[in-house]
Amino acid sequence: MEQIEQARKALTERFAELDVKSNILKAKELRELYGEIPKLPVEQRSAFGQAVNVLKNELETMVAAAEAAVESDSLSPVDVTAPFDINATRPKLLPTEQGTTHPLTQEIERVVEIFGRMGFVAEESREIDDQYHMFESLNFPKGHPARDDYDTFMTTQADTDGDPYVAPAHTSTMQNRILKKYYANLENDEAIAVVVPDRVFRNEDLDARHEHTFYQVEGVYVAKGVHAGMLVATLQKFLEEYYDRKLKVRVNPFYFPFTEPSFEFALECPFCESGCSVCSQSKWIELLGCGMIHPNVLKAAGIDPNVYTGFAFGCGIDRLVMMKHNIEDIRHFESAKLDFLRQF
Amino acid sequence: MKISLNTIRQYIDFELPSVDELVSRINQQLGQVEEVVDLSAKYQDIVIVKVVECEKHPNADKLHVCLVDDGGAVENVERDENGRVQVVCGASNVHAGMFAAWLPPRSTVPASFGTAEPFVLGARELRGVVSNGMLASAKELAIGDDHAGIIEITENDLPKSKIQNLKSGEKFAELFGLDDTVLDIENKMFTHRPDCFGQLGVAREIAGILGHAFKSPAWYVGEPVFESRSGLELKVFNEAGEKCPRFTAVVLKDVTVKPSPLWLQIELVRLGGKPINTIVDMTNYVMLLTAQPTHAYDYDKLREQTLGVRMAKQGEKCTLLNGKEYELTEDDIVIVDGEGVVGLGGVMGGGNSEVSDDTKNVVLECATFDMYTIRKTSMRYGLFTDAVTRFNKGQSPEQQVVVQGKLVELIVEIAGGTQASEIFDSRQPTADSRQVMVTSDFINARLGLKLTQAEIANLLENVEFDAASSDEQMTVHIPFWRTDIDLPEDIVEEVGRLYGFDKLPCEMPRRSITPAAKNPVFEVKKRVREQLSRAGANEVLTYSFVHADVLQKAGQDALQAYQLSNALSPDLQYYRLSLTPSLLEKIHPNIKAGHDEFALFELGKAHRVGDVDDEGLPREYKRLALVWAAKKTDKTGYFVAKQYLEVVAPNARFVPLSDCDVAKYEVFEQLAKPFEPKRAAVIMDGENFVGVVGEYTAAVRKAFKLPEGAVGFEMFQAYLMKVQPRPYVPLSRFPKVSQDISLKVPASTDYQSVFSLVQKTVHDHQPGDCEIALEPLSIYQADNDGDHKTITLRLVIASYEKTLSDKDVNQLMEKVAAEAEKHLNAERI
Repeated sequence: MEQIEQARKALTERFAELDVKSNILKAKELRELYGEIPKLPVEQRSAFGQAVNVLKNELETMVAAAEAAVESDSLSPVDVTAPFDINATRPKLLPTEQGTTHPLTQEIERVVEIFGRMGFVAEESREIDDQYHMFESLNFPKGHPARDDYDTFMTTQADTDGDPYVAPAHTSTMQNRILKKYYANLENDEAIAVVVPDRVFRNEDLDARHEHTFYQVEGVYVAKGVHAGMLVATLQKFLEEYYDRKLKVRVNPFYFPFTEPSFEFALECPFCESGCSVCSQSKWIELLGCGMIHPNVLKAAGIDPNVYTGFAFGCGIDRLVMMKHNIEDIRHFESAKLDFLRQF
Repeated sequence: MKISLNTIRQYIDFELPSVDELVSRINQQLGQVEEVVDLSAKYQDIVIVKVVECEKHPNADKLHVCLVDDGGAVENVERDENGRVQVVCGASNVHAGMFAAWLPPRSTVPASFGTAEPFVLGARELRGVVSNGMLASAKELAIGDDHAGIIEITENDLPKSKIQNLKSGEKFAELFGLDDTVLDIENKMFTHRPDCFGQLGVAREIAGILGHAFKSPAWYVGEPVFESRSGLELKVFNEAGEKCPRFTAVVLKDVTVKPSPLWLQIELVRLGGKPINTIVDMTNYVMLLTAQPTHAYDYDKLREQTLGVRMAKQGEKCTLLNGKEYELTEDDIVIVDGEGVVGLGGVMGGGNSEVSDDTKNVVLECATFDMYTIRKTSMRYGLFTDAVTRFNKGQSPEQQVVVQGKLVELIVEIAGGTQASEIFDSRQPTADSRQVMVTSDFINARLGLKLTQAEIANLLENVEFDAASSDEQMTVHIPFWRTDIDLPEDIVEEVGRLYGFDKLPCEMPRRSITPAAKNPVFEVKKRVREQLSRAGANEVLTYSFVHADVLQKAGQDALQAYQLSNALSPDLQYYRLSLTPSLLEKIHPNIKAGHDEFALFELGKAHRVGDVDDEGLPREYKRLALVWAAKKTDKTGYFVAKQYLEVVAPNARFVPLSDCDVAKYEVFEQLAKPFEPKRAAVIMDGENFVGVVGEYTAAVRKAFKLPEGAVGFEMFQAYLMKVQPRPYVPLSRFPKVSQDISLKVPASTDYQSVFSLVQKTVHDHQPGDCEIALEPLSIYQADNDGDHKTITLRLVIASYEKTLSDKDVNQLMEKVAAEAEKHLNAERI
């Protein structure tokens, strides 16, 4: 290993003086070090080999940086204020037919537009948040087993409580902020009606049906006299507008810490009459989780649960889009493949 | 969570509906049924037989030829004159007089049932002797690993109620409850339900949703009566405080550790367990029934006849039943003997105190632990056991003691032995019976229903809540096993679920007709998407996380990026510092896929360690980034990028990147890193940096394998919010006059100074009030004069007051030329 250190020192010194910097990669010291490897005892070879590779990578980086600097020196500055270059014409933009927006953002715009007509305002979520908003304010106390159901990315950096930051695993991470921000609505005898369509993250292995990054729309509705039947009716009306047809819906009991009662919401498959691949021949599609907002969640936002009640729901956008277009692989969404994007 | 309908039937007094109906009701009112396994098909053909004769096989040392009596139960099988059937058996334990499980011809070996190659038996010759089917081992029946011998069925192996049924011709499945359907209900549904991790709890729920009153077995709800015995000394202590609200233990002496009776083994198998020996099987069985984990220790392996519970010492080591050694922390609960750790409390027992075949005396322990502590310990060591699944839902200390009593009774039944100590019971004081006050109005308001108090009480009483009412108030007493209930809203859920959520009235909320406000952030993003897609660009979404390599390739500083600590994939190490590197990564694959020229853009976020927002959280930089790429190009890249930028920000001001001290703002420095200072500009909003546009450094181009044309920009979305549409210019009634002006200026003079001067001069000296348009026509530099360039602008002007004459315009242009000469040293060409 000492041998490598000596070579590193010698080569670094020589590098400064070389005219053709890339010649350093042909230095005999480097060749000799590689020649050493087979002579070593087997158990030392791997570590030694790796260390030599590190040195070689360092040299390559130095060469690349030096070459880039040379290239940069040879560049002439442009007049950044001009509309086009000297002796040139104004560059043309690409043809309009080639341009597209992303199928997920198209769908988000559509969902926001429908909910907008229903009286919901839209808010963005966050990509990095604290555990208070992701869990505590949603009635998941520290150490609550339900936290395990959200495979949450954590950062090495911590907040002021010493807890790692998280990449929100649901857009409900905005619920507490929304309830506080729109609290005045309640005082003015208006409902709090908000949707949050945004990016969420789960620490999952990728495959055709699982993404670690996907989109979810959260909905929150709070007012006096809101009951569970209104939740079902609101979602049904939304989906009927979205799919432009009458649809049957159903709720099954479920468990989320931040709603009580909690439901899994399913709709009659809008794509078939008698079973298809989208609904796995069941004629029903389990679409989203929802429920009546837990009193502790309302309280955490300063809302009196004895006066006001509300519902919340969270629906995956990717799934809606995949079902709509029969997309076979969820990974296409974040692939930036033009062959995919230009179909929308 | 696996549910055996036969086990459920042991605890209810009504007929279950058809499996389809039951599954549908469970789905609607309890939780998602993930799998329905019909065991009866697998076991339906097995018949109990008595081996009447057993002789050595004439041609094989290890085989026996048996005549078995099936009571004539199986049809179409070859029999001798006495009606017996000949079966060849290779097991060494086969003998005349025994009862065995016979797989007759045409039956399928259960272990191969449902596999790709089911093994269907026949009447086959084995070394010249016909064997009609076979006598089965535990392995062939898929109820154990043992295939050394066939199973021998004695009276002890039968459930108590079926002892008189041990006779030839009985159906094996009926005798052992294998004419069963097993439902697997999603665990997630029971995250808050400690009781539903036991068959008893689910049986109660099934009764409730089917509208029947459930009655828990007397031993479960009664006061356990413990005899005080002695014989073997045991010291018990509980020093874990509130982390272990209750800890009980008792010694049994002279137990027999051996394989469990078949009925117990099969009960376990049906519920997804694995039989081991009498003691371990019974502790598991009791857990599967009640959801209360229990543990058995070999009394003689406990040093100093002591068993206690305390918090672990920092760094204390223990080896668990899985054979692995763990170094513990002060936050772990441990079970200890007189010298050290014998188990990780609530998670897994220790290897040093395990019950084995030589065990004579056992200590049965039963405890309640703090659910959060158990979860943390489980996560810390990656230990996910059946006990953890149950303890981390919060088991009740009330339940623990009745389970302890039942366990002693059941173990004595199957393993013999006698109680040899008192029952040690150490508990923290807990609140008396819990109750929730609620009104029917409260419940109805939240469900949209009109249930009467009596209807509500009935629903709750079916699952053994005690719902007494006086006037308006209902006082609901919570049974001890429902540790999850403490709010009136929890009662709402119970009532709604037991009543049936499918029967809720659908009714839209009423709201005022105040328009819902549009969110300007969404509006701007929508506008940008429209503008850029009309300009031929494609919107992409890329991950918010990047590999360290990507940051390095872009020349960015990973130390400034938030780092993920637990990502499964190495591609997700860091939050990104800007969007551009993610887009650069996508250029090469698209070029390779055959796209020669394209533009990609993304609206997304970046972060930087150390910069916090008003909430004290990492600041989120909302950005727009675009890259344009062309396999071959003769265009000067910078101007292509600028052209795209001006689609979304037409009035931006540009300053050469090389003239800006971007290092002043660390986040901006990271944004600017990939750009070549000489061939890029900072986008300015007044004196604020709002983005960078231009070409990338040679190092970046190389690292990302960029093609000949590759340029772009990245900017803050906040600036886009400020972009105003161009103000309307009223149309003049008079004709327009057009005139070009070419100004030769020193090459170092920038275009904007020329344009601005001309614009200002035209504006200041316009003949009256005019409609003015000024456009660049060309920027020319002669091959032989690198010191100068000629900028030609076209003025199109019309007065609002009169028809302009050539003279008016000539005078104006002369004024422009004079000003240009004076301020810019320009020569009019």
